[in-house]
Amino acid sequence: MHCTSKALLTGAFGPALRRSSTVPPAFLLPSFSATYQSAFSTTTSFQARKDGNPNRGVSALRRTGLNKRQRATYPLVPKDGPVVLPKPVLDPEQRSAIEVDENHGLWDFFNVDRDSLFTPTQLAAHGRGWSVQELRRKDWEDLHRLWWVCVKEKNRVDTFKKERERVGTMYGDYEADERMKEIRVTMRSIKFVLTERWYAWENARNVAMQDDEVNLYANPDEGERAYLPAGSEQPEMQMRARRTEEQAEDAASSEEMPPPTPEAERREPVRV
Amino acid sequence: MAMATRASLTPFRVGTKELHLPDISITLLRTANSPAHTAKFQVPPWFSKLDLRDYLFHVYDVRILSVRSYVKQSRVQEGDPKIPRPQPSRWHRPRPTKFMTVELERPFVWPEEPEDYAEWNKGEMEESEEEQKKLQESLGPTRDTIGNEERRTAMRDQAKALLEGRVKWKPVAEKGSGRLLGR
Repeated sequence: MHCTSKALLTGAFGPALRRSSTVPPAFLLPSFSATYQSAFSTTTSFQARKDGNPNRGVSALRRTGLNKRQRATYPLVPKDGPVVLPKPVLDPEQRSAIEVDENHGLWDFFNVDRDSLFTPTQLAAHGRGWSVQELRRKDWEDLHRLWWVCVKEKNRVDTFKKERERVGTMYGDYEADERMKEIRVTMRSIKFVLTERWYAWENARNVAMQDDEVNLYANPDEGERAYLPAGSEQPEMQMRARRTEEQAEDAASSEEMPPPTPEAERREPVRV
Repeated sequence: MAMATRASLTPFRVGTKELHLPDISITLLRTANSPAHTAKFQVPPWFSKLDLRDYLFHVYDVRILSVRSYVKQSRVQEGDPKIPRPQPSRWHRPRPTKFMTVELERPFVWPEEPEDYAEWNKGEMEESEEEQKKLQESLGPTRDTIGNEERRTAMRDQAKALLEGRVKWKPVAEKGSGRLLGR
């Protein structure tokens, strides 16, 4: 700070001081506008409570009672006689019994006798799961139905397991696990059979694509035959089939043919 | 399983995603203190309220009015419960469990509990657990702090009887057949 020149100091401080007395700087202008002026107060204004809440100010703790505009659903002060308020029935035995529908869907979470809990003996009384060999003879309808029987049985076993855990330590877990194993065997077999069936269908389709005697694109509604042995010639049919094949080859080269839906799969599935 | 006729009669819009072989289990839970118009389920953690509504409708033919959902966080635990060997300082938090409470159209009450759980050997299992606990404690690091209450009581009674003069004290050696010879 060796700058002691008077001219420099007046240039730096003098004019600035003089300017502030007359014109405020630009950044202070908003503070002078009337719209920005408001009272500085942290108290909530009365307008803030007008939010349309009919229960505003009604408090059971402060015993305010109801608003002027509010009306009790139960007559607090009847015209004649004392005030009678309904009393809650605290003893569960004195409450009126609830009628449960015999066909309620939630009964499917229980066994046939509708017991509260499977005994270990009841849990152990089960057969084996379905084997793959047995399920190969079943169609999709049966397999689908059996799958859902398994899902419901799993839910049943799980429900009883939770109930046992709630009650305390007791027997039944081993039996439940054994039962669950058989359910899993069945479910695995169903998936195995379906996978096997799909591969068989896919392989047959590939073979038929290569075979000249098979017309995959035959329309049986128009009297076309899918299987055309080489010996038996049907000129008109053959011509039509060949024409269809040529068209199909063109189509197949452009895009892969989607697998046709089996009849059974057209059944409405579960939407979850 | 949704039939075409029932699907057209749905009181609500069911989902459009087709699941042919879903492997989803839900568990009905007993709620003794809840109203009869409610039912509580434990569902997979990824289950949504709409999933449960459609599941109950299609699989169990149960119609509901509303669903409430609750995810219960599991407590942190040390080691894997499946592994019998202790795994110290390997803390982790198991997956949370999801519960849903539905409001039923028709009330449902659980069947009554059995009088006693003798068929499930509940009493024996509890006694066995108690014994196991005692054994664990007697082998554990705090085994020297366990006192023998029966022995203590017997000694106290014996001392009291001696002080009151009901029993006369005899040296133990005299009770035996042989005589203890001094050195």
